[in-house]
Amino acid sequence: MIFSHDAVKIRKDFPMLSKPLIYFDNACMSLKPKQVIDKMNEYYNDYTACAGRSSHRLAGKVEEEVDKSRMELAYFVNSKSASEIIFTRNTTEGINLVANSIEWKRGDEVVISDKEHNSNLIPWLKLGKKGVKAVVVKSNADNTFNLDNFIKSLSKKTKLVSMVYTSNLDGVSNPMKDIARIAHEKNALVLCDAAQAVPSMEIDVKGLDVDFLAFSGHKMLGPTGTGVLYGKKEILEKMEQFIVGGETVIDSTYSRYTAEELPMKFEAGLQDYAGIIGLGEACRYLKKVGMKKISKHETKLNRIITERLMKHKNISLIGPADYEKRNGIFSFNIKGMNPHNVSKVLESSKSIMTRSGAHCVHSWFNDRKIDGSARASVYFYNTEEEATVFADEVEKIVKAFN
Amino acid sequence: MVLCIIALPVFAILGIFSLKYRKLAKDSLECIFKTATFKKCESGLDDRIKSSISGIFMRFSPKAAGAVYKNYKIISWIILAVFIWSIYGASAGIYNYIQYGNCNGPSDTGFCLLDPTGAHSGISALEDNSSAIPVLPALEANDPIIGNKNAELTIIEFGCYACPYTKKAEPIVKEVLDYYEGKVNLQFKTMIIPRHNMSYQAALSAECAIEQGKYLEYHNLLFEEQESLSHLEFEYLAEKAGMNVSKFMACLNSEKYKQEVENDTSQGYAARVSGTPTFFISGQRITGPKPFRTFKTIINEELKK
Repeated sequence: MIFSHDAVKIRKDFPMLSKPLIYFDNACMSLKPKQVIDKMNEYYNDYTACAGRSSHRLAGKVEEEVDKSRMELAYFVNSKSASEIIFTRNTTEGINLVANSIEWKRGDEVVISDKEHNSNLIPWLKLGKKGVKAVVVKSNADNTFNLDNFIKSLSKKTKLVSMVYTSNLDGVSNPMKDIARIAHEKNALVLCDAAQAVPSMEIDVKGLDVDFLAFSGHKMLGPTGTGVLYGKKEILEKMEQFIVGGETVIDSTYSRYTAEELPMKFEAGLQDYAGIIGLGEACRYLKKVGMKKISKHETKLNRIITERLMKHKNISLIGPADYEKRNGIFSFNIKGMNPHNVSKVLESSKSIMTRSGAHCVHSWFNDRKIDGSARASVYFYNTEEEATVFADEVEKIVKAFN
Repeated sequence: MVLCIIALPVFAILGIFSLKYRKLAKDSLECIFKTATFKKCESGLDDRIKSSISGIFMRFSPKAAGAVYKNYKIISWIILAVFIWSIYGASAGIYNYIQYGNCNGPSDTGFCLLDPTGAHSGISALEDNSSAIPVLPALEANDPIIGNKNAELTIIEFGCYACPYTKKAEPIVKEVLDYYEGKVNLQFKTMIIPRHNMSYQAALSAECAIEQGKYLEYHNLLFEEQESLSHLEFEYLAEKAGMNVSKFMACLNSEKYKQEVENDTSQGYAARVSGTPTFFISGQRITGPKPFRTFKTIINEELKK
């Protein structure tokens, strides 16, 4: 749990928090501490150069910093080796890398949940052209994972289980360890979309035993346009390259090329060095705060919001009523009001930044014929006072606008 | 959709300077077009405006915010009606200013944003006689005519020799008479403005100048020396105009033309002249030292008749 004296100290690290606003859109984008910003600026101010190409000392420094970041991330998700960490632009790119590098056969199946972000839905639908089928696992009525439905959806044809860890729709975390175990029993590979999980909980890829884990930097204090795909070394080594070109080959002639080893094999073209270095710093910062503390703090704030707002019959919640099952997300609708209007009123009245709409999970909303929802998502730098102000404002809207 | 109609021109103008408003203008257009074709306004601009306004009200009173949110359509229609009315008012004001030098028309002397100093609207005001039914002034054979006697059109001016605004109108009057030489002339009727010293005496003295056939010269001299009008000055100006001074002073001292001056003033009151200078061109009225273009517009209209 983050105590108030810690919160004051933490909040000073975030330049955006000096502004008069309540930032509750953390599931979309986290704010950046000055340590991350400074680390990125360090690259631009002190050692701007190419890594892995030139041999001068600046290039050497960039390479060293990128390697440090890679190790930091390997340590952050507890992977066996830094070479299992591939830098991408975001989770979407990581998933697309897997979708385009696995050797598919007509009739192969990919099992996904019914509340996947478009990032973990569209790549599989696109594979439909190659005869690959996406099998959707229906959740329970309260949007929690239905393990029985999952088991039933698996077959000999299942090549891959690609599942969201923590849903950005409602904050519910799926039992990823069980999912991976069951999938492996059926000889399927497991890809975990951990974009929403990595910022808020301790991730242990060895313990989870997933084959791939994709996540983004921008939700975990890191720079925008950065992401990671973790993959088991033995699987990544067998996979085809996705985007090829600069840095992905050891050598080439006019007729052939020799692919690089991991992880460069999948990191084509000049990388976002400042971003990667900043992402490493974000991991260091999160570790310093403590992932368990972060998780507890999110739950504490969600409890304040949930207990206040679930009393109102005109508020409908997406996901289970139990705040402990929804991490830091409170996704809701007010009867008779468009969710975009709810968010806009909150912004206009008390500068509360929330998200509204389908949250890139259009399939779930379309299936239920719901326009979308308003979503408040908290993070460790948010305070109990902010949660109370948010609840106050929503209550006012419910009372005055209905 | 309603507020999008207002938002479109506003954002379109602001969009010239800022990309942000260009996007909003595009959203407004999309919203109007979609609604007009019975489709859903996908940009949601109307809703965004509604929610933003309601949110601002929330800061002060949730009840008021709720009322705004729930009655948004009615409020929008009222705002649209006010907007259209404002556009009409502003356009009419600009048109009036261009044509008549005052936002409210040639006969108005009220405040005009385009003429904030009131350069075209100053008058020496008279007591309010607005309850009377106006009687248009008539030409009088015994009052002199300035300009060609055979002109098609006569401007009747109610002025005061001691009034600074009447003096201000003098060069404009001369410009009009020069421009319409042969077609337009002017008859000057004196109004007595009680708050101006020497208003009555100057009017009397001008009548005495008619007697000696030196009206125009003396009339011009009175305005030239307006700041120093006195009995002594009248004597001096009479001499300067080439009049028999003793005869002139006898006429002035005896108030020989008192009735004439009072008649002119009565005519002004009857015509509901609110102050000097006021001009009548046939049935149309110009109040204050309006610019040349005001006279031109009205004279051209009258000459066409």
